[in-house]
Amino acid sequence: MDSMAKWIALIGLVLMYSTANAEAQFPEVQVVEPYIDMRTGPAVGYPIFHVAEKGEWISILKRRTSWFKVRTEKGKEGWVSLDNLRLTVSSAGEPVQIEDGSFSSYQNRDFELGASGGSLEGVPSLSIYGAWVVTENLAAEVSYSQALGDFSENQFGLLSVTHTTFPEWRLSPYFRLGFGQIKTKPRANLVQSGEETRTNDLLVGGIGVRYYLAQNFVVKFEYQNLLALTERDENEELEEWKLGFAVFF
Amino acid sequence: METRICSFFLGAMLISASNLAFAQADNRASVQNVIEPDLKRRDINESSIDTEDFEIGVFAGVISIEDFSSSSLVGAQLTYHINEDFFVEASYGQATAGETSFELLSGGAPFLTEDEREYSFYDLSLGYNLNGEVFLSSDWIFNSATYFTLGAGSTEFGGDNRFTVSVGAGYRLLLTDYFAVHVGVKDHIFNSEIIGEEKTTHNIEYGLGATFFF
Repeated sequence: MDSMAKWIALIGLVLMYSTANAEAQFPEVQVVEPYIDMRTGPAVGYPIFHVAEKGEWISILKRRTSWFKVRTEKGKEGWVSLDNLRLTVSSAGEPVQIEDGSFSSYQNRDFELGASGGSLEGVPSLSIYGAWVVTENLAAEVSYSQALGDFSENQFGLLSVTHTTFPEWRLSPYFRLGFGQIKTKPRANLVQSGEETRTNDLLVGGIGVRYYLAQNFVVKFEYQNLLALTERDENEELEEWKLGFAVFF
Repeated sequence: METRICSFFLGAMLISASNLAFAQADNRASVQNVIEPDLKRRDINESSIDTEDFEIGVFAGVISIEDFSSSSLVGAQLTYHINEDFFVEASYGQATAGETSFELLSGGAPFLTEDEREYSFYDLSLGYNLNGEVFLSSDWIFNSATYFTLGAGSTEFGGDNRFTVSVGAGYRLLLTDYFAVHVGVKDHIFNSEIIGEEKTTHNIEYGLGATFFF
């Protein structure tokens, strides 16, 4: 009888160990405050349906924006806010540190993705861009823009280098130099009058300001001067103003 | 005799006490083993957490192209969730426009060539969520969100790209944490002179979509 109980205990132990190992792929933290709230969804409006108690270990399953889906040892799953998760500790007893995008993470960013809208010679223009931040001052950028006017449509792609003058400032000016190509396509009703689609090389110079907003967001405002190298006697100069928004990683 | 009995009892007591103590120690050891197996806790590291802020998916529906009847529409969208309230969304869709009432009734020459009837658009929108929950039964509870979007983009129709403003509203039902179904309405507003004088056209899209978070 006794040996049977021991066997059952042993099997139970093995089972517990193996499930514990299976779950060990998720990072775990321990609650040290009296309790932390668990909500039914990843937003502040969702109701608190459970609390993880002091001393309890919780596994972190995934993250969405600044919310974390966690599972308690008893298998309850719910969403915990970042502020609440910061009230937990690691196995070494150290407080959990998770960056939610800060000015220092902004200064150490590697990539930026963004979009902007503005005006190119008075017609609406839209751009998307991706940037690789090489040093704290210099970044290489690829962008694509489309400007849609009443008479023609301009599409241009640019490869440029930007220099952020004061990377240690939240609001910093920056400068741009680059080159690319511009395609000008007349509106369909003008094609009949003999206008043709033209593709020209493009040089660009720009000046702007960038502002670190919060978390991992940046707002940019920029003026660009574009020079289309045409085959005609005079090159074509274009001016663009734009306001943009970017996320960094 | 008395001392003999005494020592016997004393001995018995000692033995049973030591047995008891041994049993207790044994018990404690096994209890400790059961409750606290020597677990290796995996410590938290930001990069080891699966972050699901992006949402990608496809949609299909109907778009009513002003003056050119209604057509079926298919498209794709990519969303980045900035926080619990705001998101940015890029979407692309295409449809083939039908004929105007005039073309149908008069039986005359068509306004547009086959190529020019191809309708496609992209837009970049900023969206706002009203988060909620749906209780289908006591066991079937889903998170959901009603959302509103405002965006700008371009529509290619009638051989031209046109600057387009889009205004939309939709409903996202999360069947699991990472899979959602959408139903939405979006108005694509652009200026067009295809059938004569330039006017502002409203092209309303109704769609059903399915998306994955990653």
